[in-house]
Amino acid sequence: MTNAADQLDQLLTVGEAPAARTKLQLRGVSRRFGAVQALAKVDLGIAEGEFVTLIGPSGCGKSTLFNIVAGLLEADPGGEVLLDGAPASLLGKVAFMPQRDLLLPWRNVLDNAILAAEVEGRPKREARELARAMAADFGLKGFENHYPQQLSGGMRQRVALMRTFLFDRDLMLLDEPFGALDALTRAMMQRWLLDIWSRYRRTILFITHDIDEAIFLGDRVVVMSARPGSIKLERRIDLPRPRDPALLTTPAFNAIKRELLDAVEEESMKTFASGAA
Amino acid sequence: MSRATWRGLAGGLVLLALWEGVVRGLGIAPWILPPPSGILATTWTVRGALLDAGAMTLFEATAGYGIGAVLGIALAMLLALATPLRKLVLPMVVAVNSVPVAAYAPLALLWFGTGALSKIIMVAFIVGFTVFLNTLDGLLRVDPAAVALLRSFGAGRLGVLWRLRVPSALPAMLVGLRVSTVRSMIVAIVTEMLGSQKGLGWTIFEAVLQIDFLRVWAAILVASLISLGFFAAVGALERRVVFWR
Repeated sequence: MTNAADQLDQLLTVGEAPAARTKLQLRGVSRRFGAVQALAKVDLGIAEGEFVTLIGPSGCGKSTLFNIVAGLLEADPGGEVLLDGAPASLLGKVAFMPQRDLLLPWRNVLDNAILAAEVEGRPKREARELARAMAADFGLKGFENHYPQQLSGGMRQRVALMRTFLFDRDLMLLDEPFGALDALTRAMMQRWLLDIWSRYRRTILFITHDIDEAIFLGDRVVVMSARPGSIKLERRIDLPRPRDPALLTTPAFNAIKRELLDAVEEESMKTFASGAA
Repeated sequence: MSRATWRGLAGGLVLLALWEGVVRGLGIAPWILPPPSGILATTWTVRGALLDAGAMTLFEATAGYGIGAVLGIALAMLLALATPLRKLVLPMVVAVNSVPVAAYAPLALLWFGTGALSKIIMVAFIVGFTVFLNTLDGLLRVDPAAVALLRSFGAGRLGVLWRLRVPSALPAMLVGLRVSTVRSMIVAIVTEMLGSQKGLGWTIFEAVLQIDFLRVWAAILVASLISLGFFAAVGALERRVVFWR
């Protein structure tokens, strides 16, 4: 138990405000599928410890970008993907959470959470102890031995997030993790995620359709253009942290929202006009 | 016992009573359809011989079943990993499997004799195909997103097979195993009928030649009970293994 507690302590240790060291850098990343240009020269840098949210019209190549960053897809030659400043194959180096929770029905909460740790060859017992210690943080205390089909949608997402956190990587890639949740659960999960993030300090790239969510969560919001996808706009969000829901109705929030809405709207119209939506 | 089981039993008893009544009421000749009471009486009288025959058939069926299941599962895992090999082998397997089993039985008797071996091989053959096709289908029908997730964790082909494909395939595999129980008994009995000196198939065949229809029915009764027990045992195993369905 002490061992797990030590590890948890390490995980929980909040570093000083991270120096602006670049964790992930994309330079001129393109991807073509046959005749379709999905991504065209994407340039994007994410600093260590930064929470970047990414929005864009449907079909803008978000998933393609995510799969490239997750290392599941190769970028076309000519582009560069740098992790900690060095070109690297990202497969196995990024904690990736897909849209659906993809929990395995034959594994209980703990064993789902340690899936990644297990693949890495960490001893099961040790990983389980660590997961057990984390369960309270993830609102799963008392549910450690439940099976996914016994949990609510919000809890399932928290198990998936715990699995992602336990895959101990500096860069986390979250693909619309709250997309399928109802509005109330979603708002609760957003606040919870910020809380967890402030304690576990990871670099996060978070994809979403929801502009409110993007602003509420992010240090920076990145807007993608209609296909072929590239970065249309980057907006730093200087709203104070910790953030609470009252923020959503402040003038500062609304000003940012209007600016981003205009950009997203413009791109959505392009997609609509081209018949891709 | 569950309520459903009781209802099933009650329904069975009603059916037997009806059968008994109709046979007696209409005076149907016993060689066309004997009454249940007659079948039970005969079963009791020749119980020693039926037990021996039943044990023989059960041995052939379960031995073939075990061999077939192991080979079927192993081959399915191999072909799930080796895609080029699968594309080469699978069409042939399906072609061989689409010929009715009974058609191969005379060949099995010719090659492996009229003892237990030919029955075990025939049973292994049919069980192997059923389990193989079901398992392979389960192994291949996994969520591509789940495969991508495991790969993102750094899992290789074997890791994906062990942590994702095999557990995902368990439901389909166990359906194959359950269906195969009855098939294994059928194939063992049919092959015995075509050539053997032992077993329930042989008992039925012999009794028909001797125009002893009560003994035919008694053997059918024993075969049905064994089949039912085998099916129920694997069904119970299925419910334990595939608990999440």
